Amino acid sequence: MAHADPITTEVVRNFVISCAKDMNAALWRSAFSAIIYEGRDSAVALLDEKGNMLGQSTGVPLFVGAIDACVKLVLDRYGEDIHPGDIFILNDSYLQGTHLHDVTAIGPLFYKDELVGFGAARAHWQDIGAIDPGSTMGSTSIFHEGLRLGPTRIVSKNRRIPEWYDLLTRNTRLKDMTIGDLNAQITSIRTGEKRLAQILDRIGPDTYRAACANIFEQARLLDREAIGRLQDGSYYREGYLDDDGVTTDAVKVALRLTIEGEKMIIDLEGSSGPVQGSINCGAVQTESLLRLAYKTMINPDRAITGGSFSTMEVRIPDKCIFNAREPAACEWYFTGLGLLADLMISCLGEAMPEKATAAHYGDSMVAAFFDMDSDRGQWISVEPTAGGWGGANGSDGESALINLVNGGFRNLPAEVYETKFPVRVEEFSLRRDSGGSGRWRGGMGVVRSYRLLEDCYGALWFERSRTPAWGINGGGDGQGPDNDIIHPDGRVEKPLKMRARRFEKGTLFVTRTGGGGGNGNPKARPVEEVLHDVVAGAVSREAALSQYGVAIDADLTVDPVRTEARA
Amino acid sequence: MTGRSFRVSADIGGTFTDLVFQDAETGVCEAFKVLSTPHNPALAVIEGVEKHLPEGSAVDFFVHGTTVGLNAVLTRRGARVALVTTKNYRDIYTIQGNDRGEIFSIHWRKPRPPVEIPDTYTVAERINAKGEIETPLDVAELDAVVEAVRGKGYEAIAVCLLFSFKNPAHELAVEAYLKERLPGLPITLSHRVSPEWREYARTSTTAMDAYAAPVVRRYLDTLVAQLSSRLPKGRQLHVMKSNGGAMTAAAATDMPLQTLLSGPVGGAIGGQTLAAEIGKPNLICVDMGGTSFDASLIIEGKPSASNEAELEGLPIQMSVVDIHVIGAGGGSIAWEEAGAVRVGPKSAGSVPGPACYGRGGTEPTVSDANLVLGRLDSSNFAGGSMTLDKDKAREAVGALGARFGFSTEAMAQGIIDIINAKMADAIRTITIRRGIDPRDFALVAYGGAGPAQAVALAQQLDIREVVIPVMPGAFSAWGMLQTDVRHDFKMTYYGFWHQIDAADLAEKFAALEAEGTGYLEKEGFTSAEISFERFADFRYHGQEYVLTIPVPAGAIDMAAVRASFDEAYDRQYGHSSPEAQVEVANLRVAALGTLARPGIPDPAVLGRTAPRDRRVYFDGVEHDAAVLNRDEFAKGEAIEGPAIIEEATATTILPPDWRAEVITGGQLLLTRR
Repeated sequence: MAHADPITTEVVRNFVISCAKDMNAALWRSAFSAIIYEGRDSAVALLDEKGNMLGQSTGVPLFVGAIDACVKLVLDRYGEDIHPGDIFILNDSYLQGTHLHDVTAIGPLFYKDELVGFGAARAHWQDIGAIDPGSTMGSTSIFHEGLRLGPTRIVSKNRRIPEWYDLLTRNTRLKDMTIGDLNAQITSIRTGEKRLAQILDRIGPDTYRAACANIFEQARLLDREAIGRLQDGSYYREGYLDDDGVTTDAVKVALRLTIEGEKMIIDLEGSSGPVQGSINCGAVQTESLLRLAYKTMINPDRAITGGSFSTMEVRIPDKCIFNAREPAACEWYFTGLGLLADLMISCLGEAMPEKATAAHYGDSMVAAFFDMDSDRGQWISVEPTAGGWGGANGSDGESALINLVNGGFRNLPAEVYETKFPVRVEEFSLRRDSGGSGRWRGGMGVVRSYRLLEDCYGALWFERSRTPAWGINGGGDGQGPDNDIIHPDGRVEKPLKMRARRFEKGTLFVTRTGGGGGNGNPKARPVEEVLHDVVAGAVSREAALSQYGVAIDADLTVDPVRTEARA
Repeated sequence: MTGRSFRVSADIGGTFTDLVFQDAETGVCEAFKVLSTPHNPALAVIEGVEKHLPEGSAVDFFVHGTTVGLNAVLTRRGARVALVTTKNYRDIYTIQGNDRGEIFSIHWRKPRPPVEIPDTYTVAERINAKGEIETPLDVAELDAVVEAVRGKGYEAIAVCLLFSFKNPAHELAVEAYLKERLPGLPITLSHRVSPEWREYARTSTTAMDAYAAPVVRRYLDTLVAQLSSRLPKGRQLHVMKSNGGAMTAAAATDMPLQTLLSGPVGGAIGGQTLAAEIGKPNLICVDMGGTSFDASLIIEGKPSASNEAELEGLPIQMSVVDIHVIGAGGGSIAWEEAGAVRVGPKSAGSVPGPACYGRGGTEPTVSDANLVLGRLDSSNFAGGSMTLDKDKAREAVGALGARFGFSTEAMAQGIIDIINAKMADAIRTITIRRGIDPRDFALVAYGGAGPAQAVALAQQLDIREVVIPVMPGAFSAWGMLQTDVRHDFKMTYYGFWHQIDAADLAEKFAALEAEGTGYLEKEGFTSAEISFERFADFRYHGQEYVLTIPVPAGAIDMAAVRASFDEAYDRQYGHSSPEAQVEVANLRVAALGTLARPGIPDPAVLGRTAPRDRRVYFDGVEHDAAVLNRDEFAKGEAIEGPAIIEEATATTILPPDWRAEVITGGQLLLTRR
């Protein structure tokens, strides 16, 4: 076995991170659809020849560490029958864990005829031939959701296999875009191969492998140290999703975290079995989400390299919403993941109390409007909406911030929105009293109101009203989402999940996203901070008195007589 | 009065203020360093001019980059500002963009805006996307602002109402109402500072202007009062702008925001001049100092620019030279984690500084590693103003090496290799990841630590040519002397390109140009000295982000402009869609006032002294390297590596297989043999 000294190892470690960034940039630069090059709904990875992840770059945090499983599936199926210039793709929800829109492309990386690794690029394809164009909200079976592929060779020794390309284009409504995005994924993998050759020219494959082995070991060591510092014990949390989008039944989510020395076991026993609606999630993506939740608490600023998460063992029952099997529908697979992440973060918080943080609003809370009109042609607006995050130790939760799984998503300014769509954004403000009370208050959700200026379709997908963001250490829960649709005739509806329906001009959608949970006893919050909350519009005078025990008069001065002593 | 006259520039840094004096006739430059005076930066500038301006001579032109406004924002010492917004949009500056700055952290917090909700007031009014008044302005609601100014002592008011860039009537009415009741209080209107859509970014731009303005104005007033006696009658002081141009101090008083990010742009403008002078239109400019590494690009002879900047995580809508900064420099610290070597981003700064500074630093840094390898001269550092302690450097580097079983030299080489890989990655961010091949570029390296790392960095990126400019340690100040006056104007102009009337478009551009002419004439330019560059922001229908495309002077060829967007898109993203519909979002005009300046002469050559030798390590092998003085070599002369080329402000390291040649203007061109 060749040897790699610590300096070479550090240079290789910087290389694998930098190479993954180059690969992702190549994907973003050459993709055809906006959801990839602007929404950055993608992830790439550089792996070793056994499919172990070395470096990765993700656009959305949700994809952290779910690609290695796909490469291992290619290795299982094709083994020795993998050649320079081959490209494989797969999107099977049960194998890679997400919805069929996410297609992972994988290519072997050869150096002078020797297999030295794999490159993988996952991207969201706009249309994969489902029952509805784009995203379907009502699917109850994977067979409503589009074309499903296991590990499939589509390019052999740099030659496209025409019948597979033919099959792909026959099964999508957006043929040019689909092939354009696939080509961008292939470009990304080729970029990785070129870059890898440059470093192998300098240090050779053997030293490179030795350096990779060191990197795995360093990451393992860092994880072991981190878990070793956690308090041993068994921690349990559960909560309920509102419904599966088709029925009205609550869906149970349960998580037990066990820390034993340097080992961490996560068990989802007790979570709901598969459901009819499309919120089932594959095991690989479930594990990926748990890695993300872990990452938020432990060394969040460090790059993820090979060997990360090796100390984490995940157990998911066979019949489980988080272990989707045929024919479970998976289109909105991420619906339960926000709650699962909050459960995991709360359990971890008990094992590391100094970093404990209350739950966040926890869902993408999507509002969509679309139609066909003579001026604009087909127009569509799909917006995830920001909400409140949990109080930490030493600071209030952040307000109006996008949910955990989405990361870098930005809201569309009203001035851009109104110029592009026949909709007026009548209000965009922080939702008073939505943050859970506490010594450290939960962050606020937002109020975002849309007035339809023409007849058009509207749809909503808001989760987390049954189990809104909970408080910890005596802090209060945040408010869950709450929507009003006010029709021109004055009728009011209050839907959270609603498939697309046609609405009249003049209809007003008032959407309210959830707040974050509070941390600690609200009666311990200093009077001047509560007063500031009231002045800044975070807390009403009524809530200041009922939740915090601070009496504030109409002229915004504190009434010391009616104010309770601080805890 | 027949004395010589000088063009003078000043680059005000945290520790030193660099001054460059250029003879207005011969173009000969000389650089000086004085200690900065952070409490009143003008003092160092005045002191430097008093001390170094030759007796009986005059200052013909003065330009400087100032960080006064920036520091006011960074240290939160700006004005007390009240913000006025449209009703139902009070929270806009706290809501911000909703994105998480660190996507894996649940403890990340948004940047704190300079104006918060308790200082925000709303007014009932609404203008729609077409610019029509939907809800009339209720001025009576502004009485709350008037009362608050009296009660809370606000020093400035920022007003940002929705769609004011389409129809400014309501903002103007707010201004008129408040002016009458609050005479003398500065009021910033969003449509004046930034007539561009995106209400959060425009609110931030407006508030930031109101916040920094009083501080910048106070500073400029002091400087003008104290320096104007040095200037010829009718001449004004000039201040650098974030867009790489200059403006007069009087204009800066009207547009203080424009000075905010002007600190590091001098280097990029110097790069632009260099590109023209040496005939290399594509340059990667890197500035490496003690704590930070700044990289910028010159493409086809122009600095790469951006239409939006960020300060403390908050957006500012204005043209800026695009500069990418990472934490890597001579002071970056090497450390151990989980049996691995890491370098940076922690820095020893200037206090305690690297171990070799002998100010109590014990952790090994990049500068210590360079000293161990013989690449820096312990007795001749920073022009001889400072002595370095080689033993302390060896001790610090050796101690880390011992933990890994490395010799002191091998550890030092390792530190250099790792920091080079990081800097190379920063360059990849602005080149390869944007579809630009760095091998088509020459690398220009400056700053105190740049010339020492330049060749190693170029090798990482397969760059074949490196340029070490004259006075690399004061290159940013030198670059300021090469600038013209520049003002940027813009308007949001939205529609499908194929539906736009060319005559209407020409009219809009003409209006923006007329605005530019107004500014430049006030600054004393004649029409012969005034020119314009026109641009439009484009995107394919359905996209969000735009590319800014030049619109050549003269009659507008709509099809040609459209085609140049497809080409630019193809360069950026690797494909284009000539058949798709294209939207235009904004129009932009840069108004330029040309400043007269002398050419760049070849420097005078000093007599050759006897060469010295030093043992220097290159890639783990010890060599005898000649130690040479840069100013002893004339144009056309060449130096073969291995060599160390010293000068007052920096040290250039030339590895064994490289050669250096003195080319036009005294620039050093380094090439691989």
